[in-house]
Amino acid sequence: MSKVYEYDAVVIGAGHNGLCLAAYLGRAGLKTVVVERRHEEGGGVNTEEPVLPGFRHNLHAQYMEFFDVMPMIQDFKLEDLGLRTIMPEAQAGITFKDGRPPIVIHRPDLLELTHKSIARYSKQDADMYVELKKRAMSIETLLAVNLYTPPVESGTVDQGEMTEAFFGDLGVTKNFVMKSPKAVIDELFETSELRALLYRATVEWGFPVDTACTGAAFLTFIMWTMGNWKLVKGGTHSLAKAMTQACYANGVDLLESSPVEKILLEGKRAVGVQLKDGSIIKANKLVASNADLKQTLLKMVGEENLSDTWRKRSKAFRYGPSHVLGTLAYCLYEAPDYKSAKHDPYINKCFYTMVGFEDEHDTIAYIRDAYDDRLPKPAAGTWVNSLWDSTQAPANRHSATGWYFLPKAGALSQQEWEEVRRTYNAEFYKVWGQYALNMTQANVIAEKIYTPDQMEKKNMMMEGDFSNGEFAPDQMGANRPFPEASQYRTEIEGLYLCGPSAYPGGGVHAACGTNAYKVISKDFDLMDSIVPSRGY
Amino acid sequence: MITQYDVIIIGAGHNGLTLGAYLARSGLSVVVLEARHEEGGGLSTEELTYPGFLHNVHANYHTFVDLAPPVSDLKIREHGVQYVKPEVQMASIYPDNTALVVYDDIEKTAASFARFSQKDAETFLRLYKEAHGYVDLLLGTLMFEPPMSVKELTKALSVFKVGNRSQFLSVKLRKETINQFLDEHFENSKIKAHLAFHGAVCGYGNNIEGLAIGFPLLVGKINNWHLSIGGSHRLAHALWRDLANHGGVLITDARVDGIVVENKKAVGVKLQDGTELKANKCVVSTVSVEQTFLEFIDRKKSDDDLLEPEFVNKVQNEILHQSWSLFSVHLAMSQAPNYIAAEFEPDVNKAWVVNLGYDSLEALNDDWDVIAKNGLPDPRPNVAVNSLYDPTDAPDGCYTGLIRQFAPYEIGSDGPAAWDEISGIYGQKCIDAWAKFAPNLKDEAILKWATYSPHDITAKLPNMVRGDWMMGQITLSNMLDQRPTSELGGYRTPIKDLYMAGSTQHPHGFITFGPAYNALSVIAEDLGIERWWREV
Amino acid sequence: MADIYTQQWYEEVKNAINNKVAGMKKLPEGTWQIAIEIVGDGVSPYVLQGQERHFLASIDQGTCLWYKEIDDDTEQQDQKIKLDYRFRGNASKFDEIAAGIMDPIDAALGGEIKVKGDMRFLLRQADQVQALLEAYSNDVSTDWPKGKPPY
Ligand SMILES: Cc1cc2nc3c(=O)[nH]c(=O)nc-3n(C[C@H](O)[C@H](O)[C@H](O)COP(=O)(O)OP(=O)(O)OC[C@H]3O[C@@H](n4cnc5c(N)ncnc54)[C@H](O)[C@@H]3O)c2cc1C
Ligand SMILES: Cc1cc2nc3c(=O)[nH]c(=O)nc-3n(C[C@H](O)[C@H](O)[C@H](O)COP(=O)(O)OP(=O)(O)OC[C@H]3O[C@@H](n4cnc5c(N)ncnc54)[C@H](O)[C@@H]3O)c2cc1C
Repeated sequence: MSKVYEYDAVVIGAGHNGLCLAAYLGRAGLKTVVVERRHEEGGGVNTEEPVLPGFRHNLHAQYMEFFDVMPMIQDFKLEDLGLRTIMPEAQAGITFKDGRPPIVIHRPDLLELTHKSIARYSKQDADMYVELKKRAMSIETLLAVNLYTPPVESGTVDQGEMTEAFFGDLGVTKNFVMKSPKAVIDELFETSELRALLYRATVEWGFPVDTACTGAAFLTFIMWTMGNWKLVKGGTHSLAKAMTQACYANGVDLLESSPVEKILLEGKRAVGVQLKDGSIIKANKLVASNADLKQTLLKMVGEENLSDTWRKRSKAFRYGPSHVLGTLAYCLYEAPDYKSAKHDPYINKCFYTMVGFEDEHDTIAYIRDAYDDRLPKPAAGTWVNSLWDSTQAPANRHSATGWYFLPKAGALSQQEWEEVRRTYNAEFYKVWGQYALNMTQANVIAEKIYTPDQMEKKNMMMEGDFSNGEFAPDQMGANRPFPEASQYRTEIEGLYLCGPSAYPGGGVHAACGTNAYKVISKDFDLMDSIVPSRGY
Repeated sequence: MITQYDVIIIGAGHNGLTLGAYLARSGLSVVVLEARHEEGGGLSTEELTYPGFLHNVHANYHTFVDLAPPVSDLKIREHGVQYVKPEVQMASIYPDNTALVVYDDIEKTAASFARFSQKDAETFLRLYKEAHGYVDLLLGTLMFEPPMSVKELTKALSVFKVGNRSQFLSVKLRKETINQFLDEHFENSKIKAHLAFHGAVCGYGNNIEGLAIGFPLLVGKINNWHLSIGGSHRLAHALWRDLANHGGVLITDARVDGIVVENKKAVGVKLQDGTELKANKCVVSTVSVEQTFLEFIDRKKSDDDLLEPEFVNKVQNEILHQSWSLFSVHLAMSQAPNYIAAEFEPDVNKAWVVNLGYDSLEALNDDWDVIAKNGLPDPRPNVAVNSLYDPTDAPDGCYTGLIRQFAPYEIGSDGPAAWDEISGIYGQKCIDAWAKFAPNLKDEAILKWATYSPHDITAKLPNMVRGDWMMGQITLSNMLDQRPTSELGGYRTPIKDLYMAGSTQHPHGFITFGPAYNALSVIAEDLGIERWWREV
Repeated sequence: MADIYTQQWYEEVKNAINNKVAGMKKLPEGTWQIAIEIVGDGVSPYVLQGQERHFLASIDQGTCLWYKEIDDDTEQQDQKIKLDYRFRGNASKFDEIAAGIMDPIDAALGGEIKVKGDMRFLLRQADQVQALLEAYSNDVSTDWPKGKPPY
């Protein structure tokens, strides 16, 4: 059944980055196809009914923190194509077993509520949080420019001095950039409960807390995204739908259930791809890969076709343990009613609620367990989307979803993962019941857990690492995936990277796709279909 | 979000998408509104067990490929749908482990029949050849045109003296059951059971008076069963792509809960979240009659005489629903079934679909009796292993399995919710019933399984009222221009500019494209759209 | 062998049809364009294997206005004739029909002659269609005796 197709541009992978790049290419007049191994588009931008019909769960990405700055949304009027969002007032919270007051981080326009909540524990921490958040918001454009520009060596500007200049009055000195996020958090905040929340949020929103030399990112990037989260109405997958529709409207084709096995070369030039079924897709101009680095270079291009440097660097690229999550999915009669709600009812309608962490020690032990390939004691970050978006569960029912931090896929054997799937949710549920009394067995209609090994199988997120590449200083910024490949170009002419193995990494920002387009549009002299008035 | 379109279509099943694509191709601005997060309705493919195992939750068998005009009009294959017509289409395995096989090749099929009865094999060949000849003409006439009345049809048949020309087709069939037809023409009980079962899988109950009239046509396409590579959902993608390529828009997570009527004309719809959309030309519903006229039309608010009480009464009390539904088990398997019956007939191991256990019409009738009393019959399911013909629907070396069993919507007096309790137990029974014929399907051969009950069908697709996968029973009184009521039989409704185009309409449910294609003719006539499609 | 599909023959078909329908009630409104496509099958000597002959008839208010051969597809295309029906089949089948030994309805039902167009209308006008077919297959005098094609 193999066939031969011919296009100008072939994009491997219909993740949101691949779709983004393809839409721009299509709009620039290139005959473009996106080739996806799964039957469904979107990759990590996924919503399913994995447990029961009518109960939707976002099995991967849930929090949309980049929508205000993501160029594609405006450039392709994704709102006209069905993208709608909801932004809950209470954004992130932590709740406690003994019913002491929760800490609730609110939306940026409700900073006074955030202040009030933290001030229950410490006025000084509340002041600090609010001030940091304001500063981070004030540099939103700068951060967006950073995100949506191919990475540059910081070189000329001294990061430390810039950081001190900007945050110095808050006690931040230039050596903060050498610190780990945990060290920064510990120095700036005194409340153990708040630290517990911030550690977890930092890991979730990008940065391993224990890694030195990433502390500045907490002050800027993490504080900018904190509480900036939107919910995609209908489920995150609606974003993929709108993006795909933008592709279709611009004449881009999508070929599903079509795993790419090989990138075809003529000399050192990429001229097409070969699918598992033997079909050939010729690419007259370029091939771009949304798949992970190792698969793209070592497998699809083939080691034998790489130079020594590129082969060595590709082989040395690491996946996980950062950005490895497990997803829990519960179908409930009632949403959880937390003991801590007696102090602040917002915790019951909070977009992201951490359950199972009593203090900073619990959180850090939890994170370190997962990073060191040990199964942590069950605790989770949870949400109940049906509280804001009634269509995500049947009437009078709720779909609750959440994340565990788990070891990377390869750390456990198949049997061990099977065991985790059999038992882990039940263990966590016991914990949940200690924080919210209505979380009894009678409240559960059905449940499921989705583990890192399954994420690897489902999306080729290697090791379950949703960034397809560890977040560590030597694999970040202009070092991602390695310096020679940081501009989305590869040593194979006409082959580009557009997935999270490239800068800036994982997350639903479409920056890998957008930046890859910027580079490609230069190389091929394509019209500038990214609206320039934005400034980036 | 754009809130004004020429045409608003409610429901993005294959009918809604098909109609939308034709109208978009005709230059109208079209939006298709879908309640779920996914388009496709009955065309859904999900990873219900493990990642990489693609399960067709509803439609699995595509029997109108190349018979339904939209397949070519909307360039479905160019949009990526790959149909495979398995060489060994279907088998029946009997309790004594003998087996009958239907091949793509009809002469081979007859040879398989001949092992049970030479005479029946000859009759079957004659029936097939005669019916196959009609298929083109009659299917075009009976399914892909707005319906005529039974009276008109009878008259035409007698003017053309069809009764004299044909051995099998005659006007008297409209008073007969399929059982009677089979008893009249065939002698072997196993062959009769196979043919009757085939009808039932297509929604034609073998003991329902009048359905003999449709039976020759079913036999005429008995070897036209196709599988969609990468899952049935792929067809939904293709239809969506055609819609979007031509400027139409699909909005998911858009549950309609009202049709706006002004001056007795449909002028728009209201979504569950309160959004109102205006339709310049018309509104088309592809969901159930009950939803459309009892839920969407605010009869209190609108003029009293908007809907005649007699009509409302009919919708409330007289809509006929399929008297049996389907219970499914979806399996992730590490082995393909190896049947005991392979000793008798090696090709059963290659059969795409296998019917297990019915060796007489009586056996089938007995189960209908059990189901009519809301009982659960001892499973005699039909099973399919798509992976035998689809290399993409399971991980390498694994198989995706499907068990389907006729079952009631309600169980005993406990109603449909009783399914949630009993699904696991009944699912195991179904698997055991399969393993009785294929003993290797035990232990590690089955990696995981998930059930999908009649209750789940309605939970997922509320338009399938009472688990009614046909969206209206197939009976003589609910056919042609009388389906679903005399008022609605012509796709127009008592409300001006409101049309019905889903499976509630002629011809019926299944992936036929018929309702949409025929409604299109009517809408085109009313809106003065020039027909580019029905190229003569 | 002399061609059977001659100008004279078309005229006869036309007249036969018109005689047949002259007395009928309830003739269909409007003008109908019908194409007949005869495909050479190596049996009929009138249309050689690999060739096709196309004919066009126009029926107005039930009466046949003209019935003629057109050169090829391009003529059909050029004139942008909008067809209402298209009948297509192997030449030997058409010859057999003209010879009165193959029933046209059987040929259509059996799928030997493919019919495209609004079937519903054909069924509703069953009486007239029947008359038309009879005219074609029985009422036209041919060079060869009824009951056998001339080869
Ligand atoms: C549990 C979890 C929670 C997350 N939560 C958030 C969150 O809240 N907020 C946030 O912003 N981000 C979140 N993320 C991260 C986010 O989902 C991903 O970083 C993002 O989706 C990556 O997008 P992508 O388009 O670059 O790649 P992917 O989504 O990974 O897409 C790559 C695509 O390429 C395809 N592919 C791979 N190999 C081949 C091949 N050989 N041939 C053809 N196709 C191929 C894959 O099937 C896939 O569809 C989360 C991720 C996970 C796993
Ligand atoms: C278990 C099962 C097995 C089946 N097997 C087969 C098979 O093998 N072969 C076959 O041909 N057929 C099969 N069918 C039947 C087939 O799936 C249906 O007949 C067919 O899908 C009907 O198509 P449709 O477009 O009319 O409706 P649907 O596909 O049901 O589409 C209607 C759409 O409307 C949406 N909707 C409902 N309410 C609203 C609302 N208020 N607002 C907006 N949208 C709404 C629904 O979500 C749905 O997407 C099966 C069905 C079931 C349940």
